[in-house]
Amino acid sequence: MTAQGFELGLNSFGEVATDAGGTLSDAETVRLIVEEAKLAEAVGLDVFSIGEHYRRGHNDSATPVLLAAIATATERIRLGTSVTVLSTNDPVRLYHEFSTLDAVSNGRAQLVLGRASATDSFPLFGYDLADYEELFEEKLDLFMRLQREETVTWSGKFRPPLVEQQLHPRMPPGGIPTWIGVGGSPNSVVRAARYDLPLMLAIIGGRPQRFAGHVELYHRTLEQLGHARRPVAQHSLGMVADTDEEALETWWTYWQPLVAQLAAERGFYKPTRERYLQEVDSGALFVGSPETVARKIATMARDLRLSRFDLKYDVLNLPREARARTIELLGREVAPRVKQLLTKEPTHV
Amino acid sequence: MSDLVFGLDTFGDVPQDDSGTPVSDARAIRQVVDEAVLAEDTGVDVIALGEHHRPEFAISTPETVLAGIATRTDRIRLGSGVTVLSSDDPVRVFQRFSTVDALSNGRAEVILGRGSFTESFPLFGYDLSDYDVLFEEKIELFAKLLEEKPVTWSGTKRAPLDNADVFPKTESGHLTTWVGVGGTPQSVIRTAQYGFPLMIAIIGGTPERFAPYIDLYQRATDKFGTTAHPVGMHSPGFIADTDEEARELHWPHYRVIRDRIGALRGWPPIRKEEYEAEIEHGSLYIGSPETVARKMARAIKALGVGRFDLIYTTGAQPISARLRAVELYGSKVVPMVRDILAG
Repeated sequence: MTAQGFELGLNSFGEVATDAGGTLSDAETVRLIVEEAKLAEAVGLDVFSIGEHYRRGHNDSATPVLLAAIATATERIRLGTSVTVLSTNDPVRLYHEFSTLDAVSNGRAQLVLGRASATDSFPLFGYDLADYEELFEEKLDLFMRLQREETVTWSGKFRPPLVEQQLHPRMPPGGIPTWIGVGGSPNSVVRAARYDLPLMLAIIGGRPQRFAGHVELYHRTLEQLGHARRPVAQHSLGMVADTDEEALETWWTYWQPLVAQLAAERGFYKPTRERYLQEVDSGALFVGSPETVARKIATMARDLRLSRFDLKYDVLNLPREARARTIELLGREVAPRVKQLLTKEPTHV
Repeated sequence: MSDLVFGLDTFGDVPQDDSGTPVSDARAIRQVVDEAVLAEDTGVDVIALGEHHRPEFAISTPETVLAGIATRTDRIRLGSGVTVLSSDDPVRVFQRFSTVDALSNGRAEVILGRGSFTESFPLFGYDLSDYDVLFEEKIELFAKLLEEKPVTWSGTKRAPLDNADVFPKTESGHLTTWVGVGGTPQSVIRTAQYGFPLMIAIIGGTPERFAPYIDLYQRATDKFGTTAHPVGMHSPGFIADTDEEARELHWPHYRVIRDRIGALRGWPPIRKEEYEAEIEHGSLYIGSPETVARKMARAIKALGVGRFDLIYTTGAQPISARLRAVELYGSKVVPMVRDILAG
């Protein structure tokens, strides 16, 4: 990977922002995200991606609809997902939505498919968590066939069969860029290689370097299967502010209560100040001044042989000014600095 | 009659470029976005996009296209026409439309229907023999979701919901929802029962024969104690500078698509005389702005509707002709209809 080809993106989970102490409504947050994507394009970032969640405070339940609105408000930035919960979606509907997005955006649509770390979509759409693995495998098979073949006849366990179906609007031949998002399961890494799809590592806690083995496994499997090298990307959380202190204090204020709640729900570690500082220093939080964040991204790019890094910039109730500042600094200062650092000391790829 | 609402509807027919070559599906979708922007500029009130799953039509997910229109417009209302609720999930439909509503500052309008085409049933794995029960159950769930509170529901065609809260919430607290019907009295009564506004698809024959349905809607709302909203009608047509030009730009494309769909439904090929009779007395609104305006005014008056939507695209009509039709509809036809009805 050349330094010039290194890509920086932003991820939003549709989280509600605050403004002068007041909380924005769901609808105001939806419109704010469109504005943030426009800002991301204006400051030169490469990709803007939106997640898919089904809980209060998140407004990204209809990801392709949100992205389509951004599509006609921008010209260049690529539009993706972080991640699309394939397991509880219908691959046929997804094809429709993403081929339409690709049309509206003049070919800028892409997506990351995942099994999701939040499981709210399973009861909401009537799926059984016991089928977690099988659902993903079967739906990935169908979704990739819909993208790669003109007319599809298919049958499986979780969806009614298709007989010589051709979907409209058509995607470009071969489909649109499709990544596999993985959270740590080696099986998922091997699956991405099997389908010859690029890999997005979701690293939301701990030392990112522990994923080096996954990256190695991915490249080795691609090679064994006779596929060409494919890009690897990282998604992590964080914020950029003018100084390290400002970033540290602001992020802690909004991140701490959220993680405390998640810790209770999912049994994560408790967010003590000490653990927090450790995450920022050597873990998966990218919080700091432009120089600090740039150095950390460049280090990961080398250690994990990345060609793309996505920063998830929204966290529940974070003031809109802080969100905007992250986007501006990421585009104007972090991106050029990362490229400079990678030019001086290139990655292994 | 000043509060009459005028709309343009399309299913995203794939047009041809000026050299007569059909454009790509993707280009067909961008064309609809451009036409919606033009419709707003010329003063049209609503653009409504229908969901189809056939090669002639590029729109299979209306909301994704409407979202693209939302950020390029300020005023025009953004509707579906129709969303095939029977083969969709009401939870997803709500999420998609409440997102469009947010993006457009409250301009989203969903029209729920059973669809006159049935391709979505095998595509999404539904049985046509469940046509009625699917719509019945799903509209019940959708009506609950519209309250924007946690929903507990169970039925036979979808997994149950237990205190499920769905986001994003709308700013107004209510997503505008219509029901589109084609001519089934039971559908009219159901619409009245839920207190939804009624959109009647009149795609052939004299519009007057739908007067009993409107009467039925009003009587049924009385009986249920719900509100009788102004009724809308949706019919196909085309506008050009002269009557001759409009027919020349419409007939060859209409004939192809009418016979292709007719073959599926067991209709004999259409004859030119039938076509002309439909323009004279039936439900094709084709001609110069004056001709179309007079015909629309007559139908609006005869049925007492509060909204008229013209399906303005037919088959592979050229892009330039479509743009001209949109322009003439907003800038000439609509003001003429208003004048005729005021005078």
